[in-house]
Amino acid sequence: MKTRVPFREGLFQGSDEEGSLLGARCRQCGQIIFPGREACLNCLGHDLESICLSRNGKLYTYTIVHMPSEHFTPPYAVGWIELPEGVRVFSQIRGWQEYPLEIGMDMTLHFEKLWDEEEKEVVGYVFRPSTNGGA
Amino acid sequence: MRDVAIIGVGSTVMGKFPESLPYELGAEAARAAIQDAGISPGDLQFAYCANLYGGMVIGQAVLGEIGITDIELTNIENACTGGATAVRKAWWDIASGLYDIGIAVGVESITTSPMAGKLITPAKGDITGELGMNMVARFALSQRRYMDMFNISLEQIAQVSVKNHRNGCMNPYSQYRKELTIEEILNSRPICEPITLLQCCPSTDGAAAAILVPLDLAGKYTSQPVTIAASVLKSGDYAFRWEDMTFSDMTSKCANSAYEMAGLGPEDVNVCELHDAFAMNELQHYVELGFCKRGEEVRLLEDGVTELGGKIPVNTSGGLLSKGHPVSASGVAQIAELVWQLRGQAGERQVAGAKVALAHVIGGEVTGLESGAVAVHILKR
Repeated sequence: MKTRVPFREGLFQGSDEEGSLLGARCRQCGQIIFPGREACLNCLGHDLESICLSRNGKLYTYTIVHMPSEHFTPPYAVGWIELPEGVRVFSQIRGWQEYPLEIGMDMTLHFEKLWDEEEKEVVGYVFRPSTNGGA
Repeated sequence: MRDVAIIGVGSTVMGKFPESLPYELGAEAARAAIQDAGISPGDLQFAYCANLYGGMVIGQAVLGEIGITDIELTNIENACTGGATAVRKAWWDIASGLYDIGIAVGVESITTSPMAGKLITPAKGDITGELGMNMVARFALSQRRYMDMFNISLEQIAQVSVKNHRNGCMNPYSQYRKELTIEEILNSRPICEPITLLQCCPSTDGAAAAILVPLDLAGKYTSQPVTIAASVLKSGDYAFRWEDMTFSDMTSKCANSAYEMAGLGPEDVNVCELHDAFAMNELQHYVELGFCKRGEEVRLLEDGVTELGGKIPVNTSGGLLSKGHPVSASGVAQIAELVWQLRGQAGERQVAGAKVALAHVIGGEVTGLESGAVAVHILKR
């Protein structure tokens, strides 16, 4: 079995059913950002706490891409998912062939293989239409 | 601060020119502008040259080709806004009193660049790029939401492309001079749904140039100076402050600043060149530039307000969709089209009696920002 590596360090923790995206909340102005940073992009304050973002959100918009890409074979779907924290996350969308996409639909975070890199399997976050009523 | 006027413009025909090197295209446009202004190359005191893909110090190669050396010359990269940035910087060098005559050139040769025909791979550190974002997807995402939230059909969006290709037929500088039907546009192959090929601007080689002087010296060169009433350039704000991906805050803020600077409003604009990289952009920009309220933009198009013969003809040149989008040259090419319009030299596509013109470009992708840069110029005669 190939070694699983995250496509980028510090963006998420855990995996599959347990993991979450790692954002940051500014203790000074309350701004929540994803990905986290050293300083708040809103007030430039340095007092930030790392937070786990919600695993469920709404589909803000999506597109089916028919262009070649470095890592993905077309057609593939991408979109912006709006989380309850007010953060929008750009992500690959999986399961779009089985569940036709619609703006505003409930989406759930998953961790899956994004692509292969030599002997490694690169893992990252994707969103899929929620199949359990969105809870 | 001095008022600034444009006394000469020039452009190449836009298209795909595998046999023409970038500096040759730039030199052709610069030569045309110099001839139009009725000056000698040696009169120029400074130059700006905008380019994205041509390599280092291309401005020196462009102007060296036509006998312009040993002056202050600055090369500019600002993605799709590069050409407008060159005009803006030239404007300031004259307005501030630093120089009395200079040239802004924009040049792009995608066909001869190292990236021709290659897959554009994301920059290291570009998270959204690595996850499958690209320039068309970015606008397809906006278009999907725009259509769904505001009940706009693909047929209505395709009308923009129909209009601009019709205008392009009347422009000898246009890359495409062929009318398109709604069916052809919608049946062309999908790129990023709902965007099909013919809703996109093509990839284009070409160049354009403009020559600027103080308004009070313009009479020495021409009886038809065109005044730069406003020149505004802004970088993009963080995307977390961007409420609505179907409305460009950058364009709206930039246009408002330009109207304030010119002491004019959207109701004063007689002709406009705006950034129609994708057909739906044009509808969105009508709202952001203040031509109509949100929800009225389709009617503006369907009622013919933005057609030739309407109250505010938009993209008379054919726009990026038909005239083409030579990235860094586009901002200067828009200025050239509007100067011809204001002087009454636009031939078949002339807007009768045009007095005030607006040019708008936006572009450049950065993860975490709405977009890279936006520029608005207002010209008047």
